[in-house]
Amino acid sequence: MKIRVLLTGRGYQIAQHVPDPLEVPDGCRVTEAIALVAQRLPADQALPDSCLVAVQGKHLGSVRSHDEATLQEGDELMLIAPVAGG
Amino acid sequence: MTEDEATDTLSPRERERYDRQMGPGVLTAEGQEKLKSATALVTRTGGMGGPAALMLTMAGVGRVIIAHGGELISPDLNRQILGSEPLLGKPRALYFAAYLRSMNRYVEVEDIDHEPDDEEAKELAERSDIVLSCPPTMEERLRLNRAASEARVPFLDAAQWGMTGTLAVMKPGETACLQCLYPEEPPFEELFPVVGAISSAMGSLAALEAIKILSGSGQPMWNRMLTYDGYHGQIRTSDLRRDPHCGCCSSMPSAREGS
Ligand SMILES: [Zn+2]
Repeated sequence: MKIRVLLTGRGYQIAQHVPDPLEVPDGCRVTEAIALVAQRLPADQALPDSCLVAVQGKHLGSVRSHDEATLQEGDELMLIAPVAGG
Repeated sequence: MTEDEATDTLSPRERERYDRQMGPGVLTAEGQEKLKSATALVTRTGGMGGPAALMLTMAGVGRVIIAHGGELISPDLNRQILGSEPLLGKPRALYFAAYLRSMNRYVEVEDIDHEPDDEEAKELAERSDIVLSCPPTMEERLRLNRAASEARVPFLDAAQWGMTGTLAVMKPGETACLQCLYPEEPPFEELFPVVGAISSAMGSLAALEAIKILSGSGQPMWNRMLTYDGYHGQIRTSDLRRDPHCGCCSSMPSAREGS
C-alpha cells in the first residue's frame, strides 16, 4: 500500500529523495514506516530522536517514544524535526 | 481626565483607531476592551517576536512586555522588522520598544534588555495574561514554558528553521505543554538559516492567536500545532499529545477560570 509522507522542520531538505507517496507493506506500523523513511535519507543523515511524529493530523510522540498505530492506505505520516529559530 | 488617559474603557480616539478590527467576524467592543486591559509578554523580538509584538501593539493590547538582549547586527536585518539600518550597533530592546511606542500611543510598552533567567521569566509570566515564546534556543523556550505553566497563563510557541515554521497553542493544565513534546532539550544550531518572510508569518500568526485568546474572539488553536512548510508548500495542523508523565505539567490541576 502507499502512504503520504511529509518530513518537515529542521533539515527538511534532506527528504528530497523520500518518495511521496511511499510504498509500505500492508498493515505497516508507525515504527516500521519511520524506519522505511529513514532508509531513504542520504547515507550521512538520520532522523533526530526528538523528531515529532504525527499520523493523519494526530501527534503520537517522537521518533524516540511514540504511541504505536497501524497505518491505512493513503494515511499521512508527518515527521517534524524540532525547530527553535526566532 | 483627558479622553486618552488609561482606563479599561475605550476613548473615542481609541475606537477610531481600532475601527477596522471591531465588527462582524472580528472583535466586539467588549473584546477590544479586554485587549486593552491585557498584558502580553514577548521574548525575544527578532524575526518572529518582532512582528508578533508589532501586531499586538497595533491591535491595542494594553501592555506589551518585550525582552531581547544584545545589539542589532547586519545579518539581523533580513528579518528583524523592528530594526533598521540607522539602528545597527544599538541595543535592540531599547530601540525596538521606541518603535513600538511610535506605532500606538494607547499601548504601554515595557522593554527588558536581556534574556530572562528562570526567576525573572516566572515573575514576568505572573504579570502577564499570555506568553509568546519566540527565542532562538530550545533552552529559552522550555524555560518560558515552565514559567507560563507555573503562572497558569496561555503559552504560544512560534518557531522556525529555513523556510518552515511551527506554532503551538497551549494552556497549562488543559493541553500539552512544550515539555510534553520535548522532554529533553533537542540540539539546535545557534546560527540557523532563516528567510524573513517565514519568521514574520509565524510571528503574525502567533499574534493572531494571542489577540483571539485575550479578546475572547474566534476559536483559538488550543492543543494544536500548525506546521507551515514553505519549502514544500504544505500546511498542516496536528492535535498534540499530552504526556501523562511530563516533568512540567503532569501533576498540574486544571488552569484557572477564564484564562
Ligand atoms: Zn507537559
